Amino acid sequence: MNSQTTDTKDSAANMANSSSNEHQNIEQGERYWLSLDQWAGDPALAGRLENEFMSSPLASEDSKDGFARREFLKVMGASFALATTGCVRRPAGHIIPYAKAPKEITPGEANYYTSTWYDGLEGAGLVVKTLEGRPIKVEGLPAHPMTLGGLSARAHAEILSLYDPDRLKGPVRNLLNKERTNKESVSTTFEEADGKISEALKAGSVAIISGSRPSPSLKSVIGDFSRAYGANWVQYDSLPTEAIRLGQKAAYGRAVLPRYRFEAAKMVVSIDADFLGTLISPVEFTKQWSRRRTPGKDMARLVSFESILSLTGMNADDRFRIRASQQLDVVLSLIARVATLSKGSVNIPSGVQAAAKLFENAAVEMGLDGKLFDQVAMELLALRGESLVIAGGLQTLTDKQIELQVAVSALNSMLGNDGKTIDHDSSTFETLAGSPEALKALIADMSAGKVKTLVIDDINLLYVLPEDSGLRDALKKVETVIYTGNRNDDTGAQAHWVLPAGSSLETWGDFELQTGVYSIQQPTIMPLYKTRSLGELLLSWTQGSAQASAKVKSAASWLEYVKATWKSDVQPKVDLGRGLAFDEFWLALLQTGVASSAGRRDRAGSARGFVGSISAKPIAAQGYELVLYPTVQLADGKLGNIAWLQELPDPVSKVVWDNYLAVAPAMARKEGLKAGDVVELTVGGKTVKAPVLVQPGLHDDVLGLAVGYGQKHAGKVANDLGVNAYQFASFGGGRPVFAGLKATLKKSSGRYELASTQDHHLMEGRKIVIEATSAQFEKDPSAGIHKHQIFSIWPQHQYTKHKWALAVDLNTCTGCSACVIACQSENNIPTVGKRYVMEGREMHWIRVDRYYKGSPEAPESLFMPLMCQHCENAPCETVCPVLATVHNDEGLNDMVYNRCVGTRYCSNNCPYKVRRFNWFNYMKKREEPLHMAYNPDVTVRPRGVMEKCTFCVQRIRKGTNKARDEKRPLKDGEIKPACAESCPADALVFGDLNDTSSKVSRMFQDKRSYKLLEELNAAPRVAYQTRIRNAVRVEEPQKGHGGGHHSSVQPVDGKMENSVAAKTNQQHGELV
Amino acid sequence: MSTVTRNPLILGNKTYKDITDDICIPVEAPPGKKWLAMFLSAQMLFVFYILHIAYIIGTGMGLLGVNHPVGWGTMIITFVFWIGIGHAGTLISAILFLFRQKWRTSVARSAEAMTVFAVMTAGIFPLIHTGRPWLDFWLLPYPNQRGPLWVNFRSPLLWDVFAVSTYATVSSVFWYIGMIPDFATLRDRAKTKLRRTIYGALSMGWRGSARDWSHYEMLYLLLAGLSTPLVLSVHTIVSFDFAVSMLPGWHTTIFPPYFVAGAIFSGFGMVVTLLTLVRIGFPQFKDYITIDHMEVMNKIIMATGLMVGYAYCSEFFIAWYSGNPYEMYAFTNRAFGPYWWSYWIMFSCNVFIPQLFWFQRFRRSIPVMFVISIFVNIGMWFERFVITVTSLHRDFLPSNWGMYAWSWFDTAILFGSFGMFLTIFLLYLKFVPAISIAEVKPVLYVGKKRPGHGGGH
Repeated sequence: MNSQTTDTKDSAANMANSSSNEHQNIEQGERYWLSLDQWAGDPALAGRLENEFMSSPLASEDSKDGFARREFLKVMGASFALATTGCVRRPAGHIIPYAKAPKEITPGEANYYTSTWYDGLEGAGLVVKTLEGRPIKVEGLPAHPMTLGGLSARAHAEILSLYDPDRLKGPVRNLLNKERTNKESVSTTFEEADGKISEALKAGSVAIISGSRPSPSLKSVIGDFSRAYGANWVQYDSLPTEAIRLGQKAAYGRAVLPRYRFEAAKMVVSIDADFLGTLISPVEFTKQWSRRRTPGKDMARLVSFESILSLTGMNADDRFRIRASQQLDVVLSLIARVATLSKGSVNIPSGVQAAAKLFENAAVEMGLDGKLFDQVAMELLALRGESLVIAGGLQTLTDKQIELQVAVSALNSMLGNDGKTIDHDSSTFETLAGSPEALKALIADMSAGKVKTLVIDDINLLYVLPEDSGLRDALKKVETVIYTGNRNDDTGAQAHWVLPAGSSLETWGDFELQTGVYSIQQPTIMPLYKTRSLGELLLSWTQGSAQASAKVKSAASWLEYVKATWKSDVQPKVDLGRGLAFDEFWLALLQTGVASSAGRRDRAGSARGFVGSISAKPIAAQGYELVLYPTVQLADGKLGNIAWLQELPDPVSKVVWDNYLAVAPAMARKEGLKAGDVVELTVGGKTVKAPVLVQPGLHDDVLGLAVGYGQKHAGKVANDLGVNAYQFASFGGGRPVFAGLKATLKKSSGRYELASTQDHHLMEGRKIVIEATSAQFEKDPSAGIHKHQIFSIWPQHQYTKHKWALAVDLNTCTGCSACVIACQSENNIPTVGKRYVMEGREMHWIRVDRYYKGSPEAPESLFMPLMCQHCENAPCETVCPVLATVHNDEGLNDMVYNRCVGTRYCSNNCPYKVRRFNWFNYMKKREEPLHMAYNPDVTVRPRGVMEKCTFCVQRIRKGTNKARDEKRPLKDGEIKPACAESCPADALVFGDLNDTSSKVSRMFQDKRSYKLLEELNAAPRVAYQTRIRNAVRVEEPQKGHGGGHHSSVQPVDGKMENSVAAKTNQQHGELV
Repeated sequence: MSTVTRNPLILGNKTYKDITDDICIPVEAPPGKKWLAMFLSAQMLFVFYILHIAYIIGTGMGLLGVNHPVGWGTMIITFVFWIGIGHAGTLISAILFLFRQKWRTSVARSAEAMTVFAVMTAGIFPLIHTGRPWLDFWLLPYPNQRGPLWVNFRSPLLWDVFAVSTYATVSSVFWYIGMIPDFATLRDRAKTKLRRTIYGALSMGWRGSARDWSHYEMLYLLLAGLSTPLVLSVHTIVSFDFAVSMLPGWHTTIFPPYFVAGAIFSGFGMVVTLLTLVRIGFPQFKDYITIDHMEVMNKIIMATGLMVGYAYCSEFFIAWYSGNPYEMYAFTNRAFGPYWWSYWIMFSCNVFIPQLFWFQRFRRSIPVMFVISIFVNIGMWFERFVITVTSLHRDFLPSNWGMYAWSWFDTAILFGSFGMFLTIFLLYLKFVPAISIAEVKPVLYVGKKRPGHGGGH
């Protein structure tokens, strides 16, 4: 090549020479001239003329004019090339290789790190998937003894809070004036803050307010900090549950948040306790509960007494509607009925006896079905030691919240459940340790000027506390307020220093979510911004103190401190640490993510002696009652700025992007309200306008309003969505009251459209979610399923390699919707916003349909997760004109995005309507740095193409490739789509139908298995298993109970059967 | 001996020259104010249409009301509407030609023009309703370097591509061939070189010799024969878009004849609308497009209206008779669901209102037939709306049920398409003889005494 170039160069030079010779010859022959100068023979000109056409092609030989010819051509070529590349649609990106490659990173290969998720309310074991040092997805940690690999929707969304564009990117100093109204903020540095704060700390009178921090290291460092500066540490939970602890204390003498053992309960009675949705540890409870829902004699039964309709109530086999203020009445009535029906074999504890007698008939008087109520009492009697009565959550925080807990404890003690289904001893919850009373005391101290420096740890107190807490004014008396929240929100604006804590995916931490269950929080990325966690802050401040402990002094970093804590406090207590040097233990811990001691969680302690007492008198309930409740998707609202969660349909109402005042159909009729009407809601002198949603299943006199909405400073996504419900709570009377608040309601003018992903809630008599009672199931396991005669003149396809399929057990699915967010995270699914949800453009690949059955007042609810059914005779495939959706040889219905033109014919012809169309260029709308959460294994879809569930084909490929590389057959359960992986109820099972021993094959063969819309002969690869309602059924009365009860029970049984039969024929109408 | 004489097809005491003059003068005279005003407004609507299409292509289909579950909306509805309109032209020019219906001569040209323009208007929609219109050419089976990737011959949308493009080609050729002798007439009458050149080129060297006529008539006959099955096939295939799917309300075997009848119905509706306007705009045409012509077309409207009405009722009967709950629901929902109004607009406009044509007075009244023809057009648009939207919006699983999210862009697209159609139609009226001179002359004496001939004929 080189020599060629030189040759060309030479010949070009020769040519140039020869041509200039000719030029000279012409000049010398006759006298031609161009100008007078030339004619005069000006030597300067002659010199110039000499070279006029002689410029060398090379710059080195021709420096006189700016551009040599070849240079010129080069530049021109380059600019031409640049001009062309400038028009390319996708500009070239640059991948910069590692200068020094970390040995654990193979580009394109994911690394997984164990960690822990905890949002102040509930926790879960995590596996964080990272790619090239960038976390892109969180998954459940199967080894975690609590959550066993399950993960809630909110935990999945944590990944976006790391990449939240609206969080603070560094410390901020608010320049507050005396009235604390100054809004001016300047950015600052941690060094500056440290200096100023150290000064302030030296003055003493320090206090820390945080949410519950069930973290050994954090507790330790807070202890060290408190000792160094004489600080007072107060915990407060945005959704307080102190009532349970106080109730336990009143009943048994020790304040504890017991661990409820649903796996040991055959009968659960829930008093407004949403344990499947929002109470304490819903994922753990769902795991346990789902294992007791295998149809048959041992299937557990759930009876719920509810004011609002919660996820738990929707999963109940029998449900009673009560007022929030009647929770205690119901429990006392149940106590009395249990005692009466037992004919003396069960005695009411003495402290409760008098009160219970007064309420013996309360259930009937409040209009509940007396026979069914007695039935429940009978069943509880029959299942002593195997039943569980539970109350708790925001909905139970009435002014009688502690009496309620005492009464529930009394009933559990009477039934012998304490120490069996309730673990009060060996592994109780360490979360939710908040104490409103302690906070109240601190606020009083602050108001009295006794607090000089206050650290508020990442809890937006001014948002979650009602105004009557007095915090706002109390803060003005504090000289230095430090806030570690990630945004300059309501509380931040009142703080002098806002020192953002960053994301839990960026920092070290540890947890003891239940006593003896230790887990680690690993950072998976360098902090994106200038942030420091609370542990880091306190450690560095403590190190500046003369009184710092040796542990603090010797810790070079927060990690060192965490390690030191684990070495001294944790390693001796856990099995994993036995016989290992600390470094080995630490490495082992990082791999397993969790350490505990065996057997601890199988014990529940022994029965405690009930020492509580209750004095209560029946009071006739009147007027409307407001109940504030957390939603599954948003809980306290802290993750409100995550669009995934805002667009996750509320599992109960299917409404997105808003909260609303839920009213019962009866109340709507009485007040003349329709969905979307705006009402003025007045509670305790405060009036707020809110839109109405007519919610079947609510008690007729109860109004429901979700907390977590109406934020002002949470970020672009969350701001100004809905109304702030916290303001209606009352904090004044010593106990935080969130439910049973007296409310009045006035219809106001105007309408407010709520966006819902499901507008029709009845099955129209179609066989969609097939349901049978347990009695029907025992007679015929296929009860309710109508098999269709299907024949085809064509031979069916043969699938020789794999035959992927998904089975969905509708009996265990609770409708919690964790699968929706898991799928959204795995498959780069965009959110579209409220307006476009209203226009029917939501993009979820899997959705959870919810149907009502029965009367609008007290409907039964049925859930059905629906994703692409991967039909063998897929109707979408035949109609696509360009073959953009085709079947593969493993039975997957593939979508070829590149080929899709976007006719949408496939969607029209899909009987399940599971296909989603990219109406706009959604991927371009994703704000940076949210794009960092994209999963590179899944194509990001452009505008104009159809998309849908792929059964996570990228995971299937990865799994099959791995098995092939390791030269072994694929194991059943090795491949799990994102939805199945995170399902807390294990309701989704994926596998290979060609493997006859696989779980999915067995589920397909199960008698309860059916295909949705089977008669269309699309031959779906998703099989549903019927839902079994554990309808009223009484075991043969045990000796001593007498036969008399049997007869009183029979009619109930018959009635239920009839009512179920009647309900299948019902038509819709009034429901909205 | 008395004979039953036909009503004359051409009124007035015309000579051949009168005919030529009457028809050629509007083409040769400078445009009138009325024409200009109409053209400018139509053109503005057309420009408005183009801008909206550009905006939709640039931004996304999401601007329209299409959504989940209603994947097809205004564009497909209006596509079927315009394709249907086209049918009357071919029916008049081809089928009536083969049946030797002489009355067709004076309306055939405009009806055919309407066909071609309606198919052009319709043809835009399938192209722009896709999510990625710039890739529409992937629907054509041509050798390519993408694999090669081939099209799916099982998809009715592909059949549509062939059906509509064939129809567009054949009807344009048929229309053009019919115009050749008239172009020659214009060429011969041309006073400027430009006109002579243009019309000369368009007339393809027509000399009017016996040979020319012989070839011409054979070709015309052949094309008429070729077009005739297309009248039936195009809308049959368009109906397959719906009938081949498994959606309740679409999946019915009655669709092909029902669509064809509906198409002819709507086509004649549009012909009557346009020709009443032509009669107003060009009063001299009243002698050619007579009340008798209009009455015949009104009779066809009534007949096809009854067929369509029969189809509506039959669908309900079959839905009930099938015992298929989805089918039954789909039809109950059409008439009594949230879109009940669209169903009853359709039913009233297409079945009830044309019943007025039982009365001769109404059949022969220009204002009445104009109003009724407008109603027929509205009704037929709503028929497609009912079929597309109400079937899609509530199908098998109630959780999917939703509503069409009608937006401003739907309105713009719907009305804008009329801008395109009217612009082209007005240009046609200005530059092409709106009545076939060559075909009208032979029927000059139908129903009249031919001068110089005995009464015996």
